[in-house]
Amino acid sequence: MEKKTRKTRKQQVVEAEKPAEKQEEAAEPARAPVSRRPIWSGSITVGLINVPVKLYAMIFDRGVTFHFLHKVDNAPLRYEKVCTRDGKVVPWPEVVKGYEVAKNEYVVFGKEELDAVKPESDKRIRISKFVDYFSVDPLYFYSSYVLMPDKSKDAYGLLLAALQKMNKAGAGRITLRTKEYPALVHAYKDALVLTTMRYAYDVADPRSFEELKELAAPEKAELYLARKIIDDLSGEFDMAEYKDAYRQRVQELIKKKLKGEAITVEKPPKEEVKGLMEALRETLKQLEKK
Amino acid sequence: MTEKLTKVSFSNLDKVLYPKLKVTKAQFIEYYIKMAPKMLPFLSDRPIVLTRYPDGVEKQGFYEKDAPQGMPNWVKTVKLYSETAKRYVRYILCNDLDTLIWLANLAAVEIHMPLSRADDRGKPDFAFFDVDPEPPATIDDAAEVALLLKENLDALGFKAYVKMSGKKGLHVLLPIRREYTFKETRDFVHAIGKHMAKQSDKVVSEFSDTKKPSKVFVDYAQNSHGKTMVCPYSLRVTPDATVSTPIDWSDLKKSIKPAEFNIHSVPRLKKEPWKDIFENPQKLEVK
Repeated sequence: MEKKTRKTRKQQVVEAEKPAEKQEEAAEPARAPVSRRPIWSGSITVGLINVPVKLYAMIFDRGVTFHFLHKVDNAPLRYEKVCTRDGKVVPWPEVVKGYEVAKNEYVVFGKEELDAVKPESDKRIRISKFVDYFSVDPLYFYSSYVLMPDKSKDAYGLLLAALQKMNKAGAGRITLRTKEYPALVHAYKDALVLTTMRYAYDVADPRSFEELKELAAPEKAELYLARKIIDDLSGEFDMAEYKDAYRQRVQELIKKKLKGEAITVEKPPKEEVKGLMEALRETLKQLEKK
Repeated sequence: MTEKLTKVSFSNLDKVLYPKLKVTKAQFIEYYIKMAPKMLPFLSDRPIVLTRYPDGVEKQGFYEKDAPQGMPNWVKTVKLYSETAKRYVRYILCNDLDTLIWLANLAAVEIHMPLSRADDRGKPDFAFFDVDPEPPATIDDAAEVALLLKENLDALGFKAYVKMSGKKGLHVLLPIRREYTFKETRDFVHAIGKHMAKQSDKVVSEFSDTKKPSKVFVDYAQNSHGKTMVCPYSLRVTPDATVSTPIDWSDLKKSIKPAEFNIHSVPRLKKEPWKDIFENPQKLEVK
């Protein structure tokens, strides 16, 4: 087990290091890799027209991730479901789902009961209308996926060209796994992209904050000054100006640790494993002689 | 780093396999790593049988002939018909260090080997005398009988080797040319046993007499197709973590205790009494 985690850790470091070494300043990791495995396939339907597509992951959360290990032997930890009443680990067959209706009061469901009402994926992205892409509030955007043509490229190419020409997005819905999402199909960098969206009830309305009701109207002169500052600092938004500094610092630390400059992670293995390794080295030497 | 030295990833190293001596699985694996150079020449190309004690020797263990599920693909196996199981069995061949370490990691406490190798199973390369004392006879009685056996074999011009069984008895082996059948080695061992029974009333040579108290049975029956012997330097399932240890004949002249040869003491033994055992396969002919 130890072997495995160690290897992966190293690989991650190496992957992230490569671009950094090539161009000294650009310590930012390379763009997220293209996923080669579709996570969904089906078709976009507009009325009677079908565009068969495959869905690929596009958004990755590539921040620094750490694994929890046991301090004494660096063994990875796992989570267990523990009963809050007797503190014992509960095996899966004994787990049911409960909807909390009031504090500590649950409506209990078995798996079959919930499966019965699960939305069925009909393998369709149903487009009900076309909207101006920029008219959609990006606060609702949830995640995005690359759409690729499945079998026929013609229908895909046609839809892409039309959306590009008109700056429009198809609005509709898609079921992924067990959840139905509002979704947009739009053009992005010469491809069709599907963006799933949040429901309105998942987005808070900031006007519900009391503080906002006490805001005084600014003085004219103040407003003028503020507008001047904003004007002076105006520019194009450029993602390249933003770096994950924390990630960079951690990556530096990892590099140092792997070189043996620092402690803990590469801590010598536990006494007993050390004994095994010593014995192994000695035996391998003896076997070589033979 | 683990990956360079062995393909095996260790598991449950803290587990205590011998509770009386508080021997952990780590120490147990370390023992087999240390003994590998001496054991591998015996094990190689023999379809082995394991006794596994994943929860320690005081808990239930099990025999295992079939290569277990989830076996790594680099472990060599051989499919052979088992006379005792009456079916084909995929046996493990322990031909290298990694396989021995893997077996140790499975808590295969005892490793048993047949007296013949997989390429010619009908032709043993050892004739095997199992010198087995029936209580209250002890290891001392077994030693006396083993020394008598050596006298007889010496007189016939044979060079025999002795090891502790790791329990109460002694094992005497005659490395032979692979020219004889099990029936021939069995008859040979039986004939010597019968002769010895005439020489000493301590010795019994027949199965019917094995349970006679205070007697020492010179067992010939292990010289059979499909039967196995505990491998030299294999640990035993005993509270004291004893080892089936090759010894010098002269060791038998003083009183020895099986517990003296255990997981801690055996790796420290300097001498190698069986060093030349493979150098002189003998003809099973009386000069």
